[in-house]
Amino acid sequence: MAAPMRRTLQVLHRLTCSSLTNAEASLDLRHPVPLSIPVRTKKRYFIPPAVGMKSKMEENIEAKIRAAGVVVKQEYMERPINISCTAGVYDAYIPPEGDARLSTLSKEGLKQRTEQIRQSAASQLAIRKIKGHDSLFKTKEFAEQAQEIFIEAHNALTQFNKAKLHSLVTERCYPEMTRGNRYKTIHWRFIESLEPPKVVQARCPDMVSKDNLYGQVTVRMHSKQTLAIYDRFGRLMLGCEEHPKDVLEYLVFERHLVNPYGCWRLHGKIVPSWAPAKDPVIKTVMIPGPKLRPEDELDAVNLQVPKPAAVQWYK
Amino acid sequence: MATAAMTVRGVAFIRNMSASFHCRFQALIGRCPQQLSCLHTSALLESKTWERRNLKVFPPQKPDEALRPAEIHLSRRQIKYSKDKMWYLAKMIRGLSIDQAVAQLEFNDKKGAKIMKEVLLEAQDKAVKHHHVEFKSNLYVAESFSGKGRYLKRLRYHGRGMCGVMDKVYCHYFVKLVEGPPPRTEERTGLDEARDYVQKLRDRTIIHSL
Repeated sequence: MAAPMRRTLQVLHRLTCSSLTNAEASLDLRHPVPLSIPVRTKKRYFIPPAVGMKSKMEENIEAKIRAAGVVVKQEYMERPINISCTAGVYDAYIPPEGDARLSTLSKEGLKQRTEQIRQSAASQLAIRKIKGHDSLFKTKEFAEQAQEIFIEAHNALTQFNKAKLHSLVTERCYPEMTRGNRYKTIHWRFIESLEPPKVVQARCPDMVSKDNLYGQVTVRMHSKQTLAIYDRFGRLMLGCEEHPKDVLEYLVFERHLVNPYGCWRLHGKIVPSWAPAKDPVIKTVMIPGPKLRPEDELDAVNLQVPKPAAVQWYK
Repeated sequence: MATAAMTVRGVAFIRNMSASFHCRFQALIGRCPQQLSCLHTSALLESKTWERRNLKVFPPQKPDEALRPAEIHLSRRQIKYSKDKMWYLAKMIRGLSIDQAVAQLEFNDKKGAKIMKEVLLEAQDKAVKHHHVEFKSNLYVAESFSGKGRYLKRLRYHGRGMCGVMDKVYCHYFVKLVEGPPPRTEERTGLDEARDYVQKLRDRTIIHSL
């Protein structure tokens, strides 16, 4: 392109491309759209935000553009929706209290077992529906598969292999796993499984229409893992490299059943209300205190740090 | 005067040119944006190397190594102030702890001091929230300097119809905060200097002597 024509074409480019977005956003404050197009003018290296843009915004700019003969492309107010996964966990499994701490032979253990059998009626129906779409589905095999998916997904997270992670984890789970981890180093190791993984619940929610089925299966896993997170400068933020921890997890796997190319992916985690508190971060954190008037003094003796409510939440 | 005369003629010229180019405009607009996007825009406005230093990730340290101090880089671009005037303030806060620097800038009467104070507080906030700094007061100003921004050129009218080009100055301000107490510079007294001088004289060797 010849140099004199470049500036003209740049202006035209701005007019056409910026008109694809919102009508108001097309008036970029840094480079205001001139109604006169420059041909062989002095190159301006810096154009400041135009003075008096507010008064210009109120006038009818669209009519002026149309009068100048510039054709504005049709703008589509679109918002993308992802239909390959649901937005949450439907009819979540409520893990019984003291799950990994009671043996089956005690009275409390028997009570838990009976409750589990009662819950499984809806799960059996859901499993039958899943088998209708995917004939090779077996509960025991699926539990093993689920554990493998879980381990692979977390290994991909440590290497930050985005492509592999997207194939193993749903779109709803991906931002929750990766938020804030971009500039951190994660060292995670799966040492061994203490109990074989077990499918505890299955549900088949549908989205928009009755036929659009998604399968959500909750798997209970009791395993030993090590986790160490280092911040940007290589300093240990959380966890320990050497000491493994016993982890009891309730993972939710999802698959778009109607889609023939769908696969089982990690959808989320259920954290029960009775879960023990996690290890604190290796950092001193400031908790904001009560708001005081200038004449008041802080009552340090009666000060109570508010504790979070024990509610089941989903990761 | 010469420039004024040029513009009158130039406007008429542009009007003639635009009329002839009008038919071409329709064809150019019809072209898809991807073809036009290959036009080169100036790279200097978009390159922000100072902020990119915040994205460097260091490998994990072993437990016996000394902790690496956290570093936060922040800049503010196109401040309507002179870079030479900004330099005086930047030099003043070099090496101070962040609390001291903010205090000094708060009670300074210059225009740049207010902007610099905002930048320092923003950097402190970012350090605590995003860069895993434990104590917000445990920071000191390691580097602080100003750079030339992109100027606007205007005409300044002199007497006798003469005019000159006036620069509307803009500057950038860069600051780097490091975690830890500010480094103590050893104060050298006159006696230390004198001792060193005498020692230098004594260390001389005379070649080709008896």
